[in-house]
Amino acid sequence: MASYAEETVKFMKLALEQAKDALVNLEVPVGCVFVEDGEVIASGRNRTTETRNATRHAEMEAIDFLVEQWQKNGLSPLEVSERFSKCTLYVTCEPCIMCAAALSYLGIKEAYYGCGNDKFGGCGSILSLHTSCSELPTSELASSKKGFKCTGGIMASEAVSLLRSFYEQGNPNAPKPHRPLTQQV
Amino acid sequence: MRMKNTESASPQVCQIIHIPEKPSFLPHLQPTVNVLASVIEPKDANTLVRKLKQIAPLENLQHVKRVRKKCIDEGKPQLSLLLCLAVENDGEVDGMPYEIREIVKSYQLSTFITKVCKYAATSKEEWEEQCKLWPTSYHPPTYNISGITGFSEEESQSVFGFMRHTINLATSSIGQVVNAAVIVDPSTKQVIASACDQVIFSGSLENEVSKEGSFSNYLENLKASNLENQQMSLLDGSIGDSKHLTNNVACVHPWQWAMQSSGSWHPMRHAAIVAIEHSAARDLQLFPDYNALSPLKKQKIKESDFKSNGHSYQSIRPYLCTGYDIYLAWEPCAMCAMALVHQRVRRIFFSSPNSNAGALGSVHRLQGERSLNHHYAVFRVMLPEEVFRNKVV
Repeated sequence: MASYAEETVKFMKLALEQAKDALVNLEVPVGCVFVEDGEVIASGRNRTTETRNATRHAEMEAIDFLVEQWQKNGLSPLEVSERFSKCTLYVTCEPCIMCAAALSYLGIKEAYYGCGNDKFGGCGSILSLHTSCSELPTSELASSKKGFKCTGGIMASEAVSLLRSFYEQGNPNAPKPHRPLTQQV
Repeated sequence: MRMKNTESASPQVCQIIHIPEKPSFLPHLQPTVNVLASVIEPKDANTLVRKLKQIAPLENLQHVKRVRKKCIDEGKPQLSLLLCLAVENDGEVDGMPYEIREIVKSYQLSTFITKVCKYAATSKEEWEEQCKLWPTSYHPPTYNISGITGFSEEESQSVFGFMRHTINLATSSIGQVVNAAVIVDPSTKQVIASACDQVIFSGSLENEVSKEGSFSNYLENLKASNLENQQMSLLDGSIGDSKHLTNNVACVHPWQWAMQSSGSWHPMRHAAIVAIEHSAARDLQLFPDYNALSPLKKQKIKESDFKSNGHSYQSIRPYLCTGYDIYLAWEPCAMCAMALVHQRVRRIFFSSPNSNAGALGSVHRLQGERSLNHHYAVFRVMLPEEVFRNKVV
């Protein structure tokens, strides 16, 4: 088991490198890597400020890279789906509801994350989109819905301290003064 | 062909229906769950409540009070304590968690099964009904939707118009219904961005790809074609709920992308995701320098906006999609619904519910997830039957 944990830490460190890169670029410091057969095949980090698109999370960046790459190589949707099913994701923060749903649509094999995401986590904190859900008995398509194994708490303190330094320096992108939406509308 | 969805029952008039944060029920028909409880000695109450908080916290029943106080004869109170959720094999001690069993033994409790309301009350009437079963706490809603519900005649007409436009987009390719998303600035009634599902592509778009051969070029082409979409004449379209019609609606079948055989596709490019991308690209195009400004400068701009009250940089450039509405032909899936939280959309209007994967009331209900940092108001727009008359097949 020691070597297994060693590998997990190795890949999480690479994900943390991505997160640091985000921090340097004034982005929310979350990073990830996709690993297939023990090799990193894609990495990503938040680009929400740069793109002004709040959906450009680390996972989405890496996913788009892979889809583009595999498509260039002429892989069919089915082949891409097979490749994703062999992928393990290492991400510094629990995937949000959006990313967890995306990962479930792709049918990845497994995910490891650093810190939990108690505001919008989609892998157990708020919703559990990683579990192959049998809550939809009415749907004949539930069978095609795959879950993925998800393990949290890998180097969580490193991930948290990156996020902390970001929020201490202030999110330059957040509306000021920060106030709840109900007062704005 | 009429809509097969029984819920929609072919409305004769246009309607805007608010989809609340939790399922709505008549006060006396609120869903309940079975719990295990026991009468206890008042002197043990504090100790037991503290112990149970540790070993059996009421995770999804935070509105339910742990102790029920009943005055039986001559004002002598009788206390009942909620121990834990009841498992199958009601009442049998075997079904209880070990720690609960220990407590039952050491305090010699005789347990019984009772019902408590599953969801927190949202009105005083609901709360009064709830307390007849077992006491709950009631917090009047903090989320104030007055001002964004309650549509004037003019506003309603605008909502119906944008929804018709959205449905036309969703049904504009021959023989195929997809999802469509239209982001609108309601203050100017201007379309900010619009898009259809790009999970699978057919027709002219597909040809474009084979010509270009590059995914990046392809994305550029899609961005360009988006403009055409916006100017497209409004064809009379329709949406049905029968399965073959919804096959290509990404939010309804988000797991099915791999079964497509067409040459170009992207599993993540649901209509709402693409529309958000377009609106972000528009922001960058209209205000290219904003990111280059130092945070201090930005702050100054914002402050000056505040003083000049209106016609200024910041009032033109909203933060993400703050203040914008989005129209969707279909209730969005969890990925898209959460993307719309991230992008700070103010209101979501959808036409057809999505019982397979919908995240705004059908399978999940993101507008009711209190922990999220942004909440939009959600509405279903019902259009008269003729709008849905099927011209697709």
